[in-house]
Amino acid sequence: MKLNRLIFERLDHRILVGTVSFLAIMVLVGWIWINENARMAAFESQYLARSIERGAELFGSSCSTCHGIDGRGALGVAPGLNNPDIFGHNFLAEIDTQVDALNLERTEVEAQGNTDRVTEIDAELATLQTQRDSLITQMQPAVALGYNPESPSRLVNLGWGSTLHNFIYSTISSGRPVSESYWSQPMPAWAQANGGSLRPDQLEDLTNFILNWDQGDDWTIEELNSVRQFAIYPINPATVSAGPQEPPVGATTTIADIMVGLQDVTGDPQSGDQLYHGVAFGCSGCHINAVVAPLVDGTWTRVETERLLDPQFAGYTGEQYLAESIIHPGAFTAPGYAPGLMPTTFGDRMSYQQLADIVAYLKTQDQVE
Amino acid sequence: MSVLPFPSFLDDVKEKGLKRAALEGVNEVVERITVGMNVQDIREALRGEPASRKPNPRLQPHADGFWLHMRPSYFHRSVTGIYPTFRLGWLSTYFVFFETITGIFLMIWYTPSPEVAYANMLNIMSNVPFGQFIRDLHRLGAEAMVLIVFLHMLRTFFTGSYKKPRQFTWFSGVILLICTMFLSFSGYLLPWDQLALWAVTIGASMVEASPPPVVGTNLNLLLRGGPDIGANGLLRFYLLHVLAVPAVLFIFTGVHYYKVIIHGHSLPPAEENIGEDTAKRVPLDKRVYFIPDILTSEIMWIAVTTLVLVVLVTWFFHAPLEAHADNQVTPLGTTAPWYFLWIQGALKLGDKVLWGIIFPTLVIIFLIVIPYIDVTKSRRFAHRRFAFSVAFILLSLLVFLSYMGLSEFGVKTSADSEILHEMLMEPAHNHMGTLRPIPYDQLVVGQFTTAQFETEEFGGDIGTAIAHQNEAVAGDLEEILLAYLNSTLHLSVSSINFVPLPADAPELMDGVATLAHDITQHPTEMPNAWATVIITQPQSGLKRVDVVIVWDEVQIEDGVPVLDESGNPVFVLDENGNRIQRINGDTMFIHEDSQYFPAPGA
Repeated sequence: MKLNRLIFERLDHRILVGTVSFLAIMVLVGWIWINENARMAAFESQYLARSIERGAELFGSSCSTCHGIDGRGALGVAPGLNNPDIFGHNFLAEIDTQVDALNLERTEVEAQGNTDRVTEIDAELATLQTQRDSLITQMQPAVALGYNPESPSRLVNLGWGSTLHNFIYSTISSGRPVSESYWSQPMPAWAQANGGSLRPDQLEDLTNFILNWDQGDDWTIEELNSVRQFAIYPINPATVSAGPQEPPVGATTTIADIMVGLQDVTGDPQSGDQLYHGVAFGCSGCHINAVVAPLVDGTWTRVETERLLDPQFAGYTGEQYLAESIIHPGAFTAPGYAPGLMPTTFGDRMSYQQLADIVAYLKTQDQVE
Repeated sequence: MSVLPFPSFLDDVKEKGLKRAALEGVNEVVERITVGMNVQDIREALRGEPASRKPNPRLQPHADGFWLHMRPSYFHRSVTGIYPTFRLGWLSTYFVFFETITGIFLMIWYTPSPEVAYANMLNIMSNVPFGQFIRDLHRLGAEAMVLIVFLHMLRTFFTGSYKKPRQFTWFSGVILLICTMFLSFSGYLLPWDQLALWAVTIGASMVEASPPPVVGTNLNLLLRGGPDIGANGLLRFYLLHVLAVPAVLFIFTGVHYYKVIIHGHSLPPAEENIGEDTAKRVPLDKRVYFIPDILTSEIMWIAVTTLVLVVLVTWFFHAPLEAHADNQVTPLGTTAPWYFLWIQGALKLGDKVLWGIIFPTLVIIFLIVIPYIDVTKSRRFAHRRFAFSVAFILLSLLVFLSYMGLSEFGVKTSADSEILHEMLMEPAHNHMGTLRPIPYDQLVVGQFTTAQFETEEFGGDIGTAIAHQNEAVAGDLEEILLAYLNSTLHLSVSSINFVPLPADAPELMDGVATLAHDITQHPTEMPNAWATVIITQPQSGLKRVDVVIVWDEVQIEDGVPVLDESGNPVFVLDENGNRIQRINGDTMFIHEDSQYFPAPGA
């Protein structure tokens, strides 16, 4: 009761306590104000960190089956995301910058008639070219899987005009329905709004997790070479529609009619090689090793020494077997491979000339295993 | 000469000089604002001097002003100290206004939609200056308000202030208590995080139990806006929170205060007999006038209480924000808000309708009718032993039921799930998994085992114990473990090779030691249990911690292990008569910037 009398019964004490309390509130609010920007930044950083953690869990449960637990992709199934090309890292950039600078200087000193310097620059350029070639050689495992050291940015190759964040977010959100034509299964749409199972915040978490793979300038060629699958680029419709189009074979055309149609064209193995490894049909995306689909090497050998000996192909020619395998892949699945993986739409996208070219190319694959 | 039909300020300056004219102008303005008190009157009041003119200008604001006409011009001296009111009624009113003001600020940044509500919270926390401050104040005020209103009711009971003629005041107070609890409860959902969704889901599920089923089903649909709480439910809770319940609360606050003024604040039990109307009979020597004493006291209390709240939210309290609400993921250990734990506890006693609906309704009815049942003729403590005894029994019951409402009580979860939860759980209810706050630097990449802490049979040699564990795992068990890690936990490891915990990671050591201890606490449910903690680094700045428990499977019935005659568990055997080993595990990721501890947003 002493406190009661001391503080509450005397008017001047009440005024004093109230005033001091009010001033203390002002001081504390000022203190919070001073620290507010740092606190907000800290919260944002902390929240991003926790978002990455949640994204990691989602990636493990939803994405790792196709993109790999370590995010380096799965051959013939889905591209690696833990991958310098998605972040646009150019291993040759430093050398190319030096080469450009030297070429510029060379033009200038050559105009000035400074032949000594020209000679020096040529020597330096030769050294750089050697280093460049060496780097590209080191990247051969990745190059063999479709990586292009000269054009190492996936966003640039796609002509993507927005940010990498938006590219990843929109890809997860909407999926890639058309990717069925070049992957064994299409990238599904994950957003609940698009029929998937993930909320917008989960899409954001996944995006943040994938973006956290970026190593900036610290990417190494070893990491590049450990990527198991690089992106396959879909055909650009603008280039397809340019110029006269040949009629397609037709996905429902019988093999007998297809063989009749093929009689009018002559296959070009070189053109077939380009088609086989190009983005239009993306054959090499799956037939790159013997995991998802049979290896391209030795195709013709296997056709002649194994398939045609099978009674169900009695009367078939090698060309007929190959044409049927391309246009009607469901007719027969090579032993040891899952049925139904190969797209059935090539008949509607491929002309007789293109089919003949690819068959001609496959006939050159007569390596003995 | 002014062109106006009345003298202007310039005329006054010409006539009286600038200083005098200005002072008189200020005086007039102050007198109009205070509805009767000029500067001199205020000065005298604040100095504690008697009024120097008559009629007493300090009574005029009560007679002529809008705001003070609601307040009595004087109080009885016996109610102006700490006892008997403890300022609890005043504090309750303070929180009504405090919550309204802070709530309005939050409304500016909030949209009641599941699509954006959680993002709004993040924005308030990360992008709105003072956003977290106001949110913390609002949340703290909400919790405090429930507590203060409840204590106010208790005080009213113990001082017998609900007795004649204040029975209806008590009734309106019960309505205010219900409104306060429902205000707090409806606000719980708005952040749209896991804590919100599941606490409200539990609360709202009681509505569904209302008999008959057709009523329960439709009430549930009305409240939630669908079978589950979604966009409609969130909007409804928001509207209840900001419109409907506050409207009822403000109306009944008016009714309640009107009754308080009509009958006067009840005096301490020893000074007032039943049926006395203190408001109309305060002796002159007992009067404490509103101006200046009560007014300065209230302003002081506003400053002091606000300071206490500001101090608390600056250093000690932050409103929780858990992960985004997810209908598909029920967190282990979900409970209702603390003030509804007594109902959750009662629900564990049995029938949902009886304990979830009928029992709380009876409690409310009982509270309402207390003044009409307890018609004894004295308010003095010594004469109310029976009422006090009943009250203490009921309070004890309330505390016990609330304890029963905790997830620790009576909720059966398998021991392995419980341990994994305790090790890895995300922050919730001011608690998080044992391994989660381990500093990032101490999360050393490697495969560790609880066998490190069971070295008795190896003479205390850790290396031998771990080597023994590696040998025990090698072979079939390693294959099973690797398959589990790869396919179930999606962890890419190619071999199992346990290593000793590093000595320079003491908190990791403590965490694994806790795990080693916990798995031995269930010898009949998880016999021969051991566990491994596997730490990997999937990304720069991100580590992954997998905890896997392995034990011999035993027969379980109704969540309880079956025991043989000698009290030993009955093992499940395969076709060759060998024991079957069970595996369960879980994963967490820790980013170096996550800052588990300090609390989120600190």
